[in-house]
Amino acid sequence: MSAGIIVGYDGSDCSKEAVRVALEVGKAYGEIVVIAFAYELSPVGGELHDYHAALKELATRRLIEATALAADAAGDVEAVIVEQAPAQALVALAGERDARVIVVGTRGESPIRGALLGSTPHKLLHLSDRPVLVVPAPD
Amino acid sequence: MESAPPAGPAAGIQVEDKGLKKNAISFLSNIVIGVASTAPAYSLAATLGYIALVTGLGAHSPAVILVCFFPMAAIAAAYYYMNRADPDCGTTFSWMTRAMGPWAGWQGGWAIVVADVLVMPSLASVAGIYSFSLFGNNAPSTFEVTVVGVGWIVIMTAICYIGIELSARTQQLLLGMEFTTLVIFAVVALVKVYTTHPAHSIEPAASWFNPFDISSISALNGGILLAVFIYWGWDSGVSVNEETENSTTAPGRAAIVSTFVLVGIYLLVATAAQAFGGVASLANNPSDVLAPLGKGVLGSPLDKLLIIAVLSSASASTQTTILPTARTTLSMARAKALPKQFGKVHPRFLSPGFSTIAMGTASTLVYVLLSVTSPANLIGDAFTSLALTIAFYYGFTGFACVIFYRRELFKSVKNFLFIGVLPFFGGAGLTFVLVKAVIEYSKPHAGFAKPFLGIGSPVAIALLTIIMGIVFMLIQRVTMPAFFKRRPEVADPALVAASPAGRSS
Repeated sequence: MSAGIIVGYDGSDCSKEAVRVALEVGKAYGEIVVIAFAYELSPVGGELHDYHAALKELATRRLIEATALAADAAGDVEAVIVEQAPAQALVALAGERDARVIVVGTRGESPIRGALLGSTPHKLLHLSDRPVLVVPAPD
Repeated sequence: MESAPPAGPAAGIQVEDKGLKKNAISFLSNIVIGVASTAPAYSLAATLGYIALVTGLGAHSPAVILVCFFPMAAIAAAYYYMNRADPDCGTTFSWMTRAMGPWAGWQGGWAIVVADVLVMPSLASVAGIYSFSLFGNNAPSTFEVTVVGVGWIVIMTAICYIGIELSARTQQLLLGMEFTTLVIFAVVALVKVYTTHPAHSIEPAASWFNPFDISSISALNGGILLAVFIYWGWDSGVSVNEETENSTTAPGRAAIVSTFVLVGIYLLVATAAQAFGGVASLANNPSDVLAPLGKGVLGSPLDKLLIIAVLSSASASTQTTILPTARTTLSMARAKALPKQFGKVHPRFLSPGFSTIAMGTASTLVYVLLSVTSPANLIGDAFTSLALTIAFYYGFTGFACVIFYRRELFKSVKNFLFIGVLPFFGGAGLTFVLVKAVIEYSKPHAGFAKPFLGIGSPVAIALLTIIMGIVFMLIQRVTMPAFFKRRPEVADPALVAASPAGRSS
């Protein structure tokens, strides 16, 4: 039986909204909410280490923010950094934890822009083998 | 770590150990990244003509390419060992800082930035010219080329900023196409030279490859300094060590193999191009050698393949120019050697945002400035002075390796040869060429453009960048002194003892 809610967080308003919804879902099921920040390093080009360290710092800062958002939540909350492209990272993490659902926010960008820049929710819908909950950005 | 107490959020954060997917990059991919960063098609298109233009060099361009290979392979060995000591920091800035102290390190980092900014005008103008060739316009005006060239810089900067990064697989595909096209071009050209003897064609001769047949040593030097450029970039493969199979040895080996792959393709294509069109055809189109020959060799419309190869090569190279520069300035900012804006990571795209934009803006300004003041001439001279900068930072990386490992050199013959002699030979070779070139290029008529204050314009450009570097460094020294108090370090003996020194062992 699947359990647990995975939520993607990048610090944007829509991802804050996603965390809020994920906490609600977690509360409803009484299950753990895993807040994930994902990034991928390009192997091309020099000075990988410092770039990596900078990303890790940013990710840690963001997750501290996110867990602060969850401070009032009653249930279990966990924060993880996954070093992989966001959509793939969320799918992999969900598979590993056998999560019930993946929650992500959407900026509500146009389909063309999403296709050009690579929209995480869009990719996620195609990749995921389990339910995905897409939360629209707050007005 | 299963659940974080809400009150103490920091404690609950963990890094998944998927990491930089260990073993994600095969030995082959590593070579591909190294070779693709060098951008063979673009390097040839942009360099071969200028080499052929060097007075007194005649048909010996292939010999110059061959000579230049040796110090490069030696520097590849230095990268291999510095990478082992400081595997994650990637490049010259951190290595020179460790080995020679902050002042030298800062100048090493600055040299990388300068080299990358100075290559952009040439890169952009080649991309501009080839964009027009693709659509059949073979004589675009300087203005048109500049507009399209700036467009290329803007697009590539945007791509790096947004973080759409070429994966190793995309690079494999692009490089595969590039290599196939170059080999087809070379083979067809050579077959035609021997069978149909096209006008101006000359049959390859052994003396083309013999550096001792070059009559003047200054011609050899001039050629070598230009040829330094075509090998520039293989070091990118070293920086992906964490993700590579057998990460202690494979990246260094890949860098060395990359230099061999490069010398092979360069000799083949240079020989074929020169045999097909004659020396004059190379020298007459210095900023763009392959497109004019393409039609004669491959015929229409297959000659478009060559144009596409150069364009994809130039675009891949623009990326591998902007990415490492932005990461070098990011690294310098994190070491507190540059203002901290340069260390900023874009909150959404996760790219080194400020550094990337700064790099794109600087490149555009330099390109437009050179283009407007003196079309083609100054771009050629900036290109020439670029080689001075590359020779400086590759050479000093060689010395940094010897200095950093100085206490380990005499512990075994293998250490002495691979960590001492080879990098020193590379460093000395590049320094010798650097010194000779400063003497040659500082003569008033050395550049294509007018001399500044009686100094040849390539050296004038290099001097200007050095003075700017010193000024910026002194400003940094005053505003952020902490970095400049760092002391040089030496290699940890355990490092050499723990892992065998020679690749062959």
